[in-house]
Amino acid sequence: MLLTQLAVAGIQTGMLYALTAAGFALIFGATRVFHVAHGATFILAGYAFLEAMQMGAHWAIASLVALTVAVAFGLFMDMLVYRPIQKHEGSFFTVFVASFGAGIAMQALIQFFFGGGFATISLPLTRATELLPGLYIAPVFWVALAVVLLVFAAITLFLERTHAGLGLRALSENPELLRAYGLSARRLSALAFVLGSALAVPGAILTTVTTGIQPADGAHVMLVSLAATVVGGIGSIRGAALAGLVLGLVENLVVSVVDTQWSQAASFVMLFGFILFRPNGLMGRAGAR
Amino acid sequence: MLTRRTVLAGMLASTAFPAALRAATEPYVLGTLFPMTGLLSELGSIYTAATALGLEHVAQDKRLSQPIVLKAQDSQSTPQGGAVGMSKLANVDRAPYVLVGLTGVAKAAEPIATRAKVVMVNGGGVGPDLAGLSPYFWNIIPLANQELPTAFSWMKRNEIRRVALIYLDDPLGNALRKGLQDGLPAIGAALVGEFSAAPSAQQFSAMIAKIRETKPDLVYVASYGTQQTQIFKQLRDNGITQPLMTYSVGGTPSVAALPESEGLLFTSQVADWDAKDPLTRRFVEGWRARHKDNPNTYAQNYYNAVLLYAQLIERLEKEGKPLNGDTLREGLATGTFDLVGGRARFSPSGAIDMPTQLNRVQNGKFEKVS
Repeated sequence: MLLTQLAVAGIQTGMLYALTAAGFALIFGATRVFHVAHGATFILAGYAFLEAMQMGAHWAIASLVALTVAVAFGLFMDMLVYRPIQKHEGSFFTVFVASFGAGIAMQALIQFFFGGGFATISLPLTRATELLPGLYIAPVFWVALAVVLLVFAAITLFLERTHAGLGLRALSENPELLRAYGLSARRLSALAFVLGSALAVPGAILTTVTTGIQPADGAHVMLVSLAATVVGGIGSIRGAALAGLVLGLVENLVVSVVDTQWSQAASFVMLFGFILFRPNGLMGRAGAR
Repeated sequence: MLTRRTVLAGMLASTAFPAALRAATEPYVLGTLFPMTGLLSELGSIYTAATALGLEHVAQDKRLSQPIVLKAQDSQSTPQGGAVGMSKLANVDRAPYVLVGLTGVAKAAEPIATRAKVVMVNGGGVGPDLAGLSPYFWNIIPLANQELPTAFSWMKRNEIRRVALIYLDDPLGNALRKGLQDGLPAIGAALVGEFSAAPSAQQFSAMIAKIRETKPDLVYVASYGTQQTQIFKQLRDNGITQPLMTYSVGGTPSVAALPESEGLLFTSQVADWDAKDPLTRRFVEGWRARHKDNPNTYAQNYYNAVLLYAQLIERLEKEGKPLNGDTLREGLATGTFDLVGGRARFSPSGAIDMPTQLNRVQNGKFEKVS
């Protein structure tokens, strides 16, 4: 039963990783901006949800507040940080450093306003009950499962069945051709940031209620997103989501054979394995930019 | 007649006089190396508030010829930050007496302080290896190994036989692990599982699944900071209903504020906020007036550390001795001091001798169990 329990824990962790990584992969895939501040988006959404709940808001309103804050931050980064840099110089490294700096600045601001400590909210949803002998599952597991399925179904439909979704995919393929067809790369880039930032929100809310958050968590979120993007195949949202799930599973299942403190290291061993033996990742294409 | 000798004497006097004057008029420097940012910034706020209260009371007493000024450095909750901060305090601020907290930070800062002959007073770190760290290193807090006997007494009385341990893989966590390994057999109990956590770990559900398999009577947590509260929350969320126990770090406000901490047991030095002695009353009332709550033992320790500095300076002024690391060290080794909690003296290894007690989190407050 231990393995089943570890698998359940792994799926729950993996679902949260999948949502966060998919957001990062969508932004990177469409705009080629290495949005390191995606970690800050996640933390901002978590704190916004928490603050709204503590002010007595209904969870749906609090979720909406978190969504608004995350999307606003994503748009802010796109319009006021990345775009001016890209206009003048546009080097990948300059944009990366700007994003990294913005992430750190945002972490400091959150710490200034909310303190550096751990923040969470206690809900009955997170209390596990014994479903079978030795198998404990909290109601939040089913909530996470439903949210993940719903969000991925919606994002897949959007990307595959709408003009804007097709435009986003085209943006990652050939921005020049996009302009030739009269589509606005700027608007599509903003859309990528809106969707990518919004994808971080469910993971941020679920993390806030299950494990709690702190301002310094942004770095961990970013590491996981990056690992999932590489393992999944750069540019592939499905790949990143699948890789996030696999990373969560590996991180938890490995505890059955190694000491508990090495669980996170196992994920990154897997990352190195992919870089060495399958550099295109699970769903990446050979020769992708 | 103006001779060459007179001119030389005059020049020497003119250079020496301002220095002597400066020495007599310069304020005394108190350095702090607290975690103001990083994982343990919550503790840094408590340490700073207690130090400020102590300085305010010392200033009100007007028993020193010069005021004490505070020079603060942020250790960032990391050993690296501790080393950098101590370099600044010793070499730039020239602080002869520095308050530190956190085991890792204190150990990183200690060689720099010892080289510069700066006295360090620790009121927050409880790693047993902080005892006898250096002739200039003094502990005004009982170390973790001094707390364990109180935990063992309670376990024995409550027939705890199987203990599972979650520990941070660092000097403090490993010291508590060793203390439990050595001490549990003596009360007829055993460590049935030892689970190490990486300092950056935040997800503990897999570890908790393994803990459940060991069927413990009690889970002992040897971590600190935000990670500790995350562990308490996840233990309860993941179906662990057995008693949870930790060391003095359990007495932080964020632990009490967490609903999942209800019933948590933790050891600490004896703290009686209802004691009638004037020192305790002044400290407790001052703290309550500022923070609308009772203090905790960390606040007591850093308040005491400021009183200790003031008492040492007062003695040196009376004896006409200079204030430096060596004279402070001599004073600490030989004196007895009036502090909150009673009259105290230090052992030759630099540890304060204080009794300990077991506490419990009850309705979001701390209460004494035994």
